Amino acid sequence: MASSDALPGPRRPRPMSPHLSIYRPTMTMAMSIAHRISGAALYVGVLLLAWFLIAASADSSSFAVFSDFIGSFIGRLVLFVVTWALFHHLVGGIRHIVWDAGYGLDAPLRDQMAWATLIGGFALTIFVWSIGFAVR
Amino acid sequence: MVDHPSDLRTPLGRVRFLGSARVGTTEARLVHLTSVALVPLTIGFVCLMLDLLRKDYNGVRAVLTRPIPAILLLAFILAGIVHMELGMRSIIVDYIGGHARAWALAANTCFAALLALACLYATLRVAFT
Repeated sequence: MASSDALPGPRRPRPMSPHLSIYRPTMTMAMSIAHRISGAALYVGVLLLAWFLIAASADSSSFAVFSDFIGSFIGRLVLFVVTWALFHHLVGGIRHIVWDAGYGLDAPLRDQMAWATLIGGFALTIFVWSIGFAVR
Repeated sequence: MVDHPSDLRTPLGRVRFLGSARVGTTEARLVHLTSVALVPLTIGFVCLMLDLLRKDYNGVRAVLTRPIPAILLLAFILAGIVHMELGMRSIIVDYIGGHARAWALAANTCFAALLALACLYATLRVAFT
């Protein structure tokens, strides 16, 4: 098998990761997908930060357009989703740092850490929004 | 690896360009470096935004002229956008093939670079006025 890679001629297709159609869903798989989705959401969500900073660097009327949007229902909904994506990705990222260090890979703990990511992401989002409404 | 007498290529010639670790580890290490850096930076950023989002135009500008909030924001933008570019790179490589991959990778890098420059420029402009 190994030698066929080295033979001349048309190259064998690159190996692909066995995923959704190969393995039944697990909690760690779900959180792996959620990590990627939340990361992609932040890719779009960072535009909100760019808008905020550019508006603050321009005149006060530009900033008012941003303030009106972020204060609106749609604006708050978008900010809430981005806040969740940020915290979910943060907690998931810490989980990956721990795993990369070689800890928490055993059967019960890895699933507990995956659940902690899901719960922690929502908990931190609600916690920070509570502070946001309290200090407003 | 089995040696094929009919093959004129050297063992090195056969394995070259099949994939290498010349720059692959650099990318992975940069993802890890930025991810570790982003743990404290994100906490700081969220605290800063909790303060900024309740302020008006002049209030926001007053905060960003102070060094610690400005430097925190600059560090968050730099680490965050580098991390974001590398993350999207791995998504593109996983799902897009052929010529579209090269275009997607180029678009990703250009988007991230412009976004980083816009955010850094805006922050510095507020900080220095």
